[in-house]
Amino acid sequence: MIRFEGISHRYGSVQALREVSFGVPQGSLCVLLGESGSGKSTLLRTVNRLVEPSAGRVLLGGRDVAGTDPQALRRGIGYVIQSVGLFPHRSVGENIATVPRLLGWDARRIALRVEELLEMVGLDPGTYRDRLPGTLSGGQAQRVGLARALAANPPVLLMDEPFSALDPGTRRGLQAALRRIHAGSGKTILMVTHDVEEALALADRIAVMDDGRLAVEGPPLEVLGRHAPATVRRMVRAEVLAFHRLAALRAADSALPGPAPGAPVLPEGATLRDALLLMLGHGADRVALMGEAPRHVTLAALLAASGSGG
Amino acid sequence: MRDPRNAATGLLVLLPFALGAALAPWLLGWIAVAPNRLLSARIAPLGATGPVAIAWTAYHAALIALPLAAWRPARAWMAEAVGVLAALALLAVVGLGASAAVPPGGLARAAPAAGAWVALLLLFLAISTGAALRGATPALPLLAVLGGAVLLGVSGLLDPLSIMREALGRGEELRQALAEHVILSFSALLLALALSIPLSALSISRHGLEAGFLSVASGLQVIPAIALFGLLIVPLAALGAAFPALREMGLGGVGPAPAVIGITAYLLLPLARGLLAGFRVAPPALVEAALGQGLSPRQILWQLRVPLGAGVVLGALRLAAVQAVGLATLAALVGGGGLGAIVLQGVGQLAADLILLGVLPVLALSLAVDAGIALLSRRLAPEE
Ligand SMILES: Nc1ncnc2c1ncn2[C@@H]1O[C@H](COP(=O)(O)OP(=O)(O)OP(=O)(O)O)[C@@H](O)[C@H]1O
Ligand SMILES: [Mg+2]
Repeated sequence: MIRFEGISHRYGSVQALREVSFGVPQGSLCVLLGESGSGKSTLLRTVNRLVEPSAGRVLLGGRDVAGTDPQALRRGIGYVIQSVGLFPHRSVGENIATVPRLLGWDARRIALRVEELLEMVGLDPGTYRDRLPGTLSGGQAQRVGLARALAANPPVLLMDEPFSALDPGTRRGLQAALRRIHAGSGKTILMVTHDVEEALALADRIAVMDDGRLAVEGPPLEVLGRHAPATVRRMVRAEVLAFHRLAALRAADSALPGPAPGAPVLPEGATLRDALLLMLGHGADRVALMGEAPRHVTLAALLAASGSGG
Repeated sequence: MRDPRNAATGLLVLLPFALGAALAPWLLGWIAVAPNRLLSARIAPLGATGPVAIAWTAYHAALIALPLAAWRPARAWMAEAVGVLAALALLAVVGLGASAAVPPGGLARAAPAAGAWVALLLLFLAISTGAALRGATPALPLLAVLGGAVLLGVSGLLDPLSIMREALGRGEELRQALAEHVILSFSALLLALALSIPLSALSISRHGLEAGFLSVASGLQVIPAIALFGLLIVPLAALGAAFPALREMGLGGVGPAPAVIGITAYLLLPLARGLLAGFRVAPPALVEAALGQGLSPRQILWQLRVPLGAGVVLGALRLAAVQAVGLATLAALVGGGGLGAIVLQGVGQLAADLILLGVLPVLALSLAVDAGIALLSRRLAPEE
């Protein structure tokens, strides 16, 4: 869906991007990781032409974006940034209606869409539609920002550290909303984050940037796995990486048959990280798994699966 | 409710003004009377008629109330209102006193004496200080004084004063000059806006243009106004001679053209600064978000930069409009007409009344413009 082909970009004397090439498949959620200043935002912004690369091209659905009208292009791409950027003098509803209005939708259709979107991001339309952005909490504002980006139902969503300014609880709530929207819509999403846990929770592809270059790109467990490249290991301590990796592994996949009498019980669909937390909480070395046949997960099996044991 | 520190401040600051305004007429006289236009005026006693006594009592009562009204910070505007009443009562004392001292129809002429002028000045200062204490513009109360004075004049109360006689004799000329003055300042303001709005809008994202525009605009400020008007006469005269069509339109040498162009030149800097600052009130992240949604630069200007920067822009517009009214007074020097022409006449004839007759409408005009735009910006940008 999105293809970067040999993208380089200079800001004056700063070489922000160096020949970056990779693709984001249709319907996938690709997370861009990398140290501060490694060029993540710059790369993201070449897609909607807020940055015109000095060399290389970006293909969107097979078409070179350089040949499109920038305003029309941007109206077809959702864009969410950390500072949200809601228009302070317009109500929540009017903010969400920005792109539909630019596209000339009629008032009835816009009103219906605003209502639908507010519900989709978990805000009650009656309560929030007519509020001004200044009266919202950070999490509520970011929900409105997400709704605004989704307003005209764009096939592609660009998100630059959308949830980084939020507290962990709020962030998890928004991540859940995003996962739901992604699963339900099949949108292609490219998202920048600093948070490895967030990357593992959301991504089906991860691309790591290092000083303007693409260091590695692939499925999360490969990129952040036991053989993670040096760039990744420099960014995150190995044990932290191993811990977060557990979140991408289903506990059922490491379960052994047979009952575990007296062990705490893990709900169905839980991850290995949930299993480890439960063991820590109860001082146990095994947890039972809920389900039809009796199964359990041992600490040794967990370590083996994470690749950090032995 | 009562903040003792503020109350004491208001009281202590306004007390000297009130005392001065009470003492000045006693020391320097209320009215001065001259036997005819050529002989010099002397201080004359106030006549002891009933109306004079009433006005006199009202004046002193207002002076006592003035500092006391500042005692309640929650109603700080009351001090200004009392100041306005005091100034109008003073005018009434002078007008009524003059009519008692000068028999109607004679050659003798009466005018406010130095004491009355000093007291009036002190009251203006007291009103301005009162407004400043509550962080407001004094334009509205000062305008109320001028409006009240006009009402007193229309009622005939001030007729015996020489300035009123002068005004009555020159009614048509005065109206004409006022109209010219308004046209001069308004057209210069419009021209300056027509130049600076597009240039500022283009300058937002073009640093070279911004630097060039601002340096030209501030370079123009360095040339003295009269010199600039004078310098403009030469090329305009040449243009008028070369193209008779332009001459027909009034664009040759002496006249309103050099004045309007010159005033426009001075307004560019305050307008450009205000417009650029106003356009930049919208934070960069907001502009980035708007760009990302697919708004064009023009839509960002009108839907984001203009509404968010309205307060700052209107502040600059206010400054520029007041400057335009003031600068238009100099238009008379290059034959451009306006109220300055009456002032120049007064200077030529050494006639203080005539000078005042030209200056007071300028003052009223500028206060009206200031108060009008201040009201407008409070409507449009209440947070400012
Ligand atoms: N508008 C700009 N002008 C000049 N240099 C810039 C500009 N924007 C970014 N840069 C530089 O380009 C490099 C890459 O910046 P970019 O914003 O893409 O990094 P990033 O990976 O998003 O960093 P962060 O994680 O801190 O947001 C940095 O060295 C930055 O200083
Ligand atoms: Mg960034």
